[in-house]
Amino acid sequence: MPSIVDIAVNNEGFSTLVAAVQAAGLVETLAGEGDFTVFAPNDDAFAKLPPGTIQTLVQNPPQLARILTYHVAAGRLTKDDLIKLGEVTSIEGSPIPINGEDDFEVKNATVLAADIEADNGIIHVIDNVILMG
Amino acid sequence: MITTKIPPSTHPHADVIHRLEAGGSMLPDTPENLMQIIGIYKAYAVPMDFYWRDLLYIAEQVFLEPFRFFKYFISDEYLERQNHYAGDQADLRIWRGTGSAHPELLEFMKKGETFKSSKLFHHLFHDRINMEFAEACMRAMLWHGRDMGLGKFDAYLDSDEYKANADRAIKAYFKKNPVMLGLYKLFPDMFLEQVRELSYYANLGLFWEVMAPVFFEMSDIYDEGGFKGVPDAMNFLVNGIFAIAGRPIYHHVYIDGECFEIIPKSKGFTWLYEAALPYVEAVFYRTAPFRGTKSYNAQAHEVPDAQKDFHYGILYADVFPVGTAGIPPTLLMDDMYHFLPQYLKDYYKEHCRGEDDELIQLGITFQRSMYNVTSAVIQALRTALLYPLDDPNPKHLQKNREFFEAQMDRFLRPEARLRDIQNAEYR
Amino acid sequence: MLSFLLFLPLVGIGAIALFPRPLTRIVATVFTVVTLAISSGLLINLNLQDAGMQYTEFHNWLSILGLNYNLGVDGLSLPLIVLNSLLTLVAIYSIGESNHRPKLYYSLILLINSGITGALIANNLLLFFLFYEIELIPFYLLIAIWGGEKKGYASTKFLIYTAISGLCVLAAFLGIVWLSQSSNFDFENLTLENLEFNTKVILLTILLIGFGIKIPLVPLHTWLPDAYVEANPAVTVLLGGVFAKLGTYGLVRFGLQLFPDVWSTVSPALAVIGTVSVMYGSLAAIAQRDLKRMVAYSSIGHMGYILVSTAAGTELSLLGAVAQMISHSLILALLFHLVGIIERKVGTRDLDVLNGLMNPVRGLPLTSSLLILAGMASAGIPGLVGFVAEFLVFQGSFSRFPIPTLFCIIASGLTAVYFVILLNRTCFGRLDSHTAYYPKVFASEKIPAIALTVIILFLGLQPAWLTRWIEPTTSQFIAAIPTVQTIALTPAELSKAP
Repeated sequence: MPSIVDIAVNNEGFSTLVAAVQAAGLVETLAGEGDFTVFAPNDDAFAKLPPGTIQTLVQNPPQLARILTYHVAAGRLTKDDLIKLGEVTSIEGSPIPINGEDDFEVKNATVLAADIEADNGIIHVIDNVILMG
Repeated sequence: MITTKIPPSTHPHADVIHRLEAGGSMLPDTPENLMQIIGIYKAYAVPMDFYWRDLLYIAEQVFLEPFRFFKYFISDEYLERQNHYAGDQADLRIWRGTGSAHPELLEFMKKGETFKSSKLFHHLFHDRINMEFAEACMRAMLWHGRDMGLGKFDAYLDSDEYKANADRAIKAYFKKNPVMLGLYKLFPDMFLEQVRELSYYANLGLFWEVMAPVFFEMSDIYDEGGFKGVPDAMNFLVNGIFAIAGRPIYHHVYIDGECFEIIPKSKGFTWLYEAALPYVEAVFYRTAPFRGTKSYNAQAHEVPDAQKDFHYGILYADVFPVGTAGIPPTLLMDDMYHFLPQYLKDYYKEHCRGEDDELIQLGITFQRSMYNVTSAVIQALRTALLYPLDDPNPKHLQKNREFFEAQMDRFLRPEARLRDIQNAEYR
Repeated sequence: MLSFLLFLPLVGIGAIALFPRPLTRIVATVFTVVTLAISSGLLINLNLQDAGMQYTEFHNWLSILGLNYNLGVDGLSLPLIVLNSLLTLVAIYSIGESNHRPKLYYSLILLINSGITGALIANNLLLFFLFYEIELIPFYLLIAIWGGEKKGYASTKFLIYTAISGLCVLAAFLGIVWLSQSSNFDFENLTLENLEFNTKVILLTILLIGFGIKIPLVPLHTWLPDAYVEANPAVTVLLGGVFAKLGTYGLVRFGLQLFPDVWSTVSPALAVIGTVSVMYGSLAAIAQRDLKRMVAYSSIGHMGYILVSTAAGTELSLLGAVAQMISHSLILALLFHLVGIIERKVGTRDLDVLNGLMNPVRGLPLTSSLLILAGMASAGIPGLVGFVAEFLVFQGSFSRFPIPTLFCIIASGLTAVYFVILLNRTCFGRLDSHTAYYPKVFASEKIPAIALTVIILFLGLQPAWLTRWIEPTTSQFIAAIPTVQTIALTPAELSKAP
């Protein structure tokens, strides 16, 4: 099975995410071992951010890494697992609230496609970049 | 425009909440308001240009100098230091103008209000930029830092890694000074606390480094007629906040040409979480009661018991300066007074006591403008953490509504000036 | 010369009628300034060796009635005449920039000036009474037209009280002349030796009641708080500054000078009445919450000093009495002028509402500072003219009436109490930012205040300029009192007194 990075690279609509992961130096981590649950914002999600946001983040890899690691939780958690938990702690350290009432929502983003299996984890595609706080 | 998807709010500040939900600001959208706030942003940005440079000068160069008599005597290197967000060499060019110190600032530093003379004379005569205000803001952030719990900056200052970094820097700074090294062995915590304070100097300096070009650019856009109203200005601020949200916050010290990274960039501290949000909370909302205006006697119960209840920031301020000593915002008003654009000076001449009470008039304008900045922060937080204003899902809109109401709850206390700024006659 | 002084303001009234409306105030100012200049000139050229009447003029007028046009001034009346013109000048500018019916207003002011001058320069009892009564209608009109809310009530009350005062005075004068069978009402022709002692006591009592209403003395004072509070501050300046002084002038001129032998018998009672006035005024002032009312009661208190020291009848105390007349007028004029400014700009007189006026940017800093100085002067702080007058009063009266003087000194301390209350509420504290949009204070309002302050300071530091005109005349009055032990003070020692 392909790794999380492979899936992102080989699928349409994740080019911004791939570029960000590369700039932040997280490629090896996300391609390697250990189960990760990744909430992947698609290109439209990144486009919603006001201009200049990505540029500043890309210029500062540690800060970009922090935002990106907020989208990752440890373990292989499916949609049902997440909804049952109600909240997970990201690798960055801050919590991510999960809401399964109507749509499957992760913080203030809606999951467009859930449970995409990868070799080293699960990807859920979201329509917004999520931020701490 | 009240959204028809959810029923109207019943909050006492419902009118302001509806305006926020429509994409507006807490400040009413009138041309007069727009003129006032843009003018004062420009007047604020020029001293701010000095503040951020000198704050970094103190944090990076002056560092632990025991007798810091000349900490305001900024070096030319820092005056010429390029702002990361203005000028040709900018990382992200927010302001089209120069990256070094603003020409009006340099002009004022030469001449002051009186006449051209030596720096020492201007300093002692207090005919200079009132850097004490910047230090007061820094102290507010330092003092409230632990209690606010916003971001990871303050928690990091207690970590072992920080202590180790600081220890190296202190030893390097005093390597030729056995007396101070001996003092450091006796009282390590004292020196460590000084370094923490200097880290906050750096934090505030890096925060304001970004705000100055934002305000300059807003003034330029307004002069060209690019803002149609107050919401436009607020949205420019919101976009600005997002654009620089990822700016790193760090503390590098330069001792004998060598760089000591007390807080390295690799810690990942961001402008938004570690600088901007603590700043807004500590300086706009809380600050500290000004000496002479409130009794610090605990039995008098004039100062709230909990830090979170402090309400001495600009959003709650009574702008009439009660004497000029000991109240830092009056220092800022004096600074802004020197750099008012002509259209604002003309405006003030026609109202109240004309030139005699310009300081108060501009202080109230400044209060209006800071409500606008706070609105931008609130809208930016909503964009980042909640849902768009035109979200079709009523549950999302309700969450937005609750967020706005929680923010407006902070303006329910009688000292809040939210109701006053709705009225154009509040001058 | 004195006639010129008397008729110049009347010519001024004519001029006001002729000149266009915007120039009215300037016309009135010009005439008052000329009057002030002339009276100051007369004062400076007063012959200090001659303690009798100077600059005299005499014309037969209505000899059948005994009324002659007999004028003259001495050290008692001339300083009061200068004071009169000075306060008229202050009153012209104390009304504020815009007042309705200016022509009538300034004409009445000038008429009052003329009337008071006339009363002070008259050397004939009936002539004095004539001018004494002329004041009535102008003041009534001034209170009734330009007054506050209860102006009708206050002005009518004032009219009735003052009319009765005039009646008492007239009765006493007629009694003096007819019972003593003097040839006419002229001062020099009054022969009181053939009156019995008891008759003199009765006449003096009636005179005292008449002037006591005017001063005012407790319990005849009840017209004062209403009149002073409801009148426009400019009118109050004149009421308290010169109108009330006519009462004390009459007391000294007709009470002390005409009845020296009776005076020492009656004086203990007078001292008690004076002390009651002083204590009542001071204590009542402490209780007030209205700014103007507080100053009005303070005025009652300070006038009581004059009675106490006149009663004591020593050289020093009578000097102190006249000095206090002038000092009190100056301080009262300053106080009411400043209170007037505060009321006009801030819009309220309520001490519970006023706050923080010393704010240099949005407040009334100059007005508040001068108010503090005026309060200090009233409380008798050394260096200001109030101290000079009060010290003379206390020093002079103590030998004769130690207990009343002690009460007066206590009341002087109480003055500080209510002034500190006033200043604490009005000047200090924090301006209410919701209401503090006060208009600017104009130069025409500032200059009278500054001028009065300068005079108060100057006379406080150089009191000889106050006492040298008065001293010869008062010494002569006291010398005529038979049973009073005069304190052996030479003029040289007197001028060394602080």
